[in-house]
Amino acid sequence: MAKYNTSQFKNGLKLMLGGKPCSIINNEFVKPGKGQAFNRVKFKDLITGKTLEKTFKSGESLEGADVMELEMQYLYSDGSSWYFMDPSSFDQYELGQAAMGTATNYLVEQDNCIVILWNNNPISVTPPNHVILEVVDTDPGLKGDTAGTGGKPATMNTGVVVQVPLFISIGEKVKVDTRTNEYSGRA
Amino acid sequence: MSEFKAQLLQYQNFLHQIRDFFYSRGVTEVKTAALLSNPVSDVYIDSICATVNREIGELKSLYLHTSPEIEMKKLLARGSGDIYQICSVYRDNEQGNQNFNEFTMLEYYRLDFDIHKLIDEITELLVKLGWRHNIRRISYNEAFIKYAGIDILQADFDSLKSIAKSHGLSTEFDWIEDLQMLLFIHLIEPQIKNYSACFVYDYPKQQSALAQIDSQVAKRFELYLNGVEIANGYQELQSAKDYRHRFSNELAKRKQLSKSISSIDEQFLLELKEGLPFCSGVAIGIERLFSSIGL
Repeated sequence: MAKYNTSQFKNGLKLMLGGKPCSIINNEFVKPGKGQAFNRVKFKDLITGKTLEKTFKSGESLEGADVMELEMQYLYSDGSSWYFMDPSSFDQYELGQAAMGTATNYLVEQDNCIVILWNNNPISVTPPNHVILEVVDTDPGLKGDTAGTGGKPATMNTGVVVQVPLFISIGEKVKVDTRTNEYSGRA
Repeated sequence: MSEFKAQLLQYQNFLHQIRDFFYSRGVTEVKTAALLSNPVSDVYIDSICATVNREIGELKSLYLHTSPEIEMKKLLARGSGDIYQICSVYRDNEQGNQNFNEFTMLEYYRLDFDIHKLIDEITELLVKLGWRHNIRRISYNEAFIKYAGIDILQADFDSLKSIAKSHGLSTEFDWIEDLQMLLFIHLIEPQIKNYSACFVYDYPKQQSALAQIDSQVAKRFELYLNGVEIANGYQELQSAKDYRHRFSNELAKRKQLSKSISSIDEQFLLELKEGLPFCSGVAIGIERLFSSIGL
């Protein structure tokens, strides 16, 4: 893989850091009045999703990470693994619980999502920003409450619990923002 | 009035407040040359070279000042008393959101001030310019002990290397001071960001630049506003001999890094024959200060 030095660092660049594939989320150039130049860089670990900060001497270089983001279709889960298909090649990929992270809360069969491959192995999944889920359990709401003031917990068909307005009832489909786990409207 | 015009007036008022501050304290505004015969000797600051007089057959290289420090110290040696200057300065090999090839510097010197008296005065200047937040002070070593558990004044090169390694950082450094700076930027600066204003003082002696050394520490300080370095000040070296020693050190480091080097500014050392009066001086980045105050 190619090497990248600090002057080529930019947001989104995928690099190997301590043996792990990471993506740059912020690159700050710092030059003390009397010192050499440094880059203070914030990374996202593409496997764990955690952010970490490193400081480099300007001019240092890191190896690029062989990382690809592909849009795939979620096929099904057997409970321990989740299966995806690249619609352009029909190749199937299997992900375990750890790599799925919170994506299991939002994926419904046939949904498209972004799968990150590192050295052609899937390491994480990002669901679409908004997904449509079905309410399978919630307390009965107040009939007349259409203003949506207040809220109540509702369990979705994926198992995730989302705060919904009082007027939502079992069986309804709702739109959920996967980044915040918030209700964003009736579907 | 347009927003643009309002900004121009705001900047004018800001400069006026600074000049008024110094006028009322009897600090004299001066203007020194920006085109110098010698480049700066600092290892990590690069002068911009200007080639002049080619067409009249008098070709020579001059250097845009990277700070008015040397020229102002000549004035101090000649008996100027307290002085200040607001001027554009120029530096090569700068880039980034906070670094530019040209910026405006406020440089000023106060006779018989130690760094703490100068810090007191800069605090008063900040308040006059409208700063309304707390202003803290912490020594370089206190900061390291508090935020990283490191006694930076005692830690040797090897122990700092192993600390850097434990944080997954580079250990490829020629000098201990560069490693101190790396750890400061990585471990301390993000913490200092939590203070809106913070003076850091008493630097390790390896980072003395042109400041006096008192046993383990250089009588040097920096001011951070919202985590951004705004000012750098010293209790100034006084003798020509000390200046020659520091310049030689910096030039030797430049040589080691294969950077352009020049001879020592003998004219300056000559002017310092009688020495500099006891004084403290500071350089303040005006654009950075203006944007921090305006926040």
